[in-house]
Amino acid sequence: MSERDLQDVLRKLKSSHSYQDSLSLLSKAKITLLKLHALTPQPTTSPSILHAAREIFEAGALLSIRAKDPDAFTRYVHQLTPFYELPSERLNPANSEKNKITGLYLLLLLTQGNYSGFHTELEGLELRQEGGLVEDDRFLGYPIKLERWLMEGSYDLVWKAMASREVPSEEYGVFSEILTSQIRNEIASCSETAYPSLPISSTKDLLFLDSEGAVISFAQSRGWDIKDGRIYFPNQAKAGVDEEGNEKVLSQMAIENTLGYARELETIV
Amino acid sequence: MPGKTPHTNGNDPVENGINGAEDIEMKDDAPNPLKAGKGKKAKEGEEEMTVVVPPSKGSKLSAPPPKDNEGDVAMDGFEEESGADTSAPKVDPVAQTIADIKSNFPLLERAVALFDARFSLRALRSISSIRKRLTPDILAQVIAETYPSTSPIAKSLLVALDRENITFGKPVSSEMEIDVESKTRNGKKEPKEIIPEIDVFLGILTQIYYLDSKINQQGAVFSSRLAERIHSLNRRTLDSLSARVYFYYSLFCEQLAPLPPSPSSPVVSIRPALLAALRTAVLRKDIETQSAVIVLLLRNYLSTSHITQADLLISHTRFPENASNTQVARYLYYLGCIRAIQLRYTEAHEHLTAATRKAPSSPSAAGFSQTATKLLLVVELLMGDIPDRATFRIPSLERALQPYLHLVQAVRVGLLGEFENVTRQYSDTFRRDGTYTLILRLRQNVIKTGIRMMSLSYSRISLRDICIRLKLESEESAEYIVAKAIRDGVIEASLDRERGFMKSKEVGDVYATREPGEAFHDRIRACLTLHDESVKAMRFPMNQHRLELKNAQEAREREREMAKEIQDGDLDEDDLGGEFEGM
Repeated sequence: MSERDLQDVLRKLKSSHSYQDSLSLLSKAKITLLKLHALTPQPTTSPSILHAAREIFEAGALLSIRAKDPDAFTRYVHQLTPFYELPSERLNPANSEKNKITGLYLLLLLTQGNYSGFHTELEGLELRQEGGLVEDDRFLGYPIKLERWLMEGSYDLVWKAMASREVPSEEYGVFSEILTSQIRNEIASCSETAYPSLPISSTKDLLFLDSEGAVISFAQSRGWDIKDGRIYFPNQAKAGVDEEGNEKVLSQMAIENTLGYARELETIV
Repeated sequence: MPGKTPHTNGNDPVENGINGAEDIEMKDDAPNPLKAGKGKKAKEGEEEMTVVVPPSKGSKLSAPPPKDNEGDVAMDGFEEESGADTSAPKVDPVAQTIADIKSNFPLLERAVALFDARFSLRALRSISSIRKRLTPDILAQVIAETYPSTSPIAKSLLVALDRENITFGKPVSSEMEIDVESKTRNGKKEPKEIIPEIDVFLGILTQIYYLDSKINQQGAVFSSRLAERIHSLNRRTLDSLSARVYFYYSLFCEQLAPLPPSPSSPVVSIRPALLAALRTAVLRKDIETQSAVIVLLLRNYLSTSHITQADLLISHTRFPENASNTQVARYLYYLGCIRAIQLRYTEAHEHLTAATRKAPSSPSAAGFSQTATKLLLVVELLMGDIPDRATFRIPSLERALQPYLHLVQAVRVGLLGEFENVTRQYSDTFRRDGTYTLILRLRQNVIKTGIRMMSLSYSRISLRDICIRLKLESEESAEYIVAKAIRDGVIEASLDRERGFMKSKEVGDVYATREPGEAFHDRIRACLTLHDESVKAMRFPMNQHRLELKNAQEAREREREMAKEIQDGDLDEDDLGGEFEGM
């Protein structure tokens, strides 16, 4: 097992097109790396091996995205992080897929609803980006824009961004489906509180569904009532009921607090 | 001002020089008059509340730092000072400084003898006044006078100071000086054993000398050796000193060549040393070092924005409860930082409020409270609150908070255009303060405030109008945004899709809800905790009560005896005198 084997595997990996083949090649490559002690960059590792290692992990990351395996992808991202942090003298950052993979990772965090992870990652990017804004990058700007729209509620812009197939690379398309269903659920929960009732025809546009039939099945899945071509939201009625119970809790709390103050006063005076 | 510093006028600018060396980030914000007014008295305890902020974003730091006038002034002042010290040989200040340094040794000895950390803290506190007058020659002389010439520690210190030849040439004369000077102490010729506390204290002074003269590379090497030595000593009386050693150690590393945002910066390489120190400190129950090192590590991680690691560190360590106030303030600040990045604003707000309250009020710590307040303001905005106007009027903060005032004004009115103008105009300032990414998140808050304003002023408004007023891209966007605002509880309203308008609901009476009760409860609880804490903070000398009891008992016994003797009638003068002497 030497560096030449590694290059060999890498070349095969690049030319291979079937998922199974690539997977076995990847595990072989990783074993080779392990034997070369280059699974994580060591101070003694030679630049060419570092380069090869990075390429292998990047290939693995992209492959696992295409195979829709988020766990494997996250693992590859974590393995790549130390490589990306190496100074440029040791590992030339040219033709690395860093931004693409980081962008994908951000998108993954977004679809998982892990906003704190998303912002943590973003904070690091802001600091490490040399020259130019993070938002202006083709790969990184996409998830950042999506997040901003999602947070403020401009779901139609998110929808348009995904529908127009303006994704920076094919891998990004994988997430569109997840995101669509995610924003659909968001919109549904917003509509439940915001509208007293909705006509089915306009709900179709609201939820970005294809047909009225799809609207009906979606409404049923969320437990909405459908009467005379309008959708009514049963959850709204419930809100009024709690008032009575609240009153009791409120006065109990007030009594408890006052008793507490009296006790404290006693200890002080 | 010259009147306040007793020795030379030339020493004055050093204040600035010191600040320049220590808190690069902050000095452009610190208002001038404050710096000038920073006399010796003001510096007392909190001098070391140096502002510790994660370095600013972007690569601009890699260029030699200061960009504005004040920075230049500071640098000039510093050079001027070092020139003055070497060229003009003033005997008096030198001797005075030597005496000042030495006056700390008995304090340290007492700390060891009485096992009371307060004495070593007092010694550390005096550093700030010695610092201005520190030169290698003075240090070397102190070392030569304190140690026997064979001591390996003295030798290593002198090598570090680059003075090994000069001072060992005149050990005789310095011994003479000891005799003359230390009549108050036990200045006899017998070789006294030097306690390690004094070694470390001199080590700290050496570190400070390196730091002030910006010899960072050597300083880092020296510090790492000093840290190793401390590591091998297990003395509780050393705790507060060793905390200080680590503090300067990491400060050196921060200023070495690839500056922090770069992942290959030396700050990364001292992490193992700091972590090891933390482990040892925890095992030895060394609270001072433990708290200091945790804070340093957090600062370290944040400087390279390894936020996940910082978060893990927090979840795996327990910050000592009775750490010193300044460390607690710093810790809370970093905690607030991390929580703010993680979108946990309520926690962030809690920590930052505590940090700003705990921050020492002396002018020398103005930088810290400025930074903490800035972050606090942004977090308050993110939570949807509007910060108190009075905050911006506090004299020490007014100037530094100017950009934030504009920001708050924009958010308060809910004008998106205004908000974008402000962020663009001050983007450099915000980036330097490390609040830029947080401020970008404010956009949605501005929109929400705008919607809330509209829902309060109109009972019914068309989506088109909302769209125009908020400068949104389309009516559909407006509809979704309003729907989200309703769901999030920002406004009480409902939407009518067919006719395209938003209808506000009647606003209920706030006093009928639990809100005022909760606010009241919060305040009372805060007052109660304040009371409890101040009771806990009261200090009594150790075993004093027992002494009093004993005295009282003795007095009572004596009284009884005396009464008995008087009764017996055989009391005479001598007895009485003897008794009183005994007391």
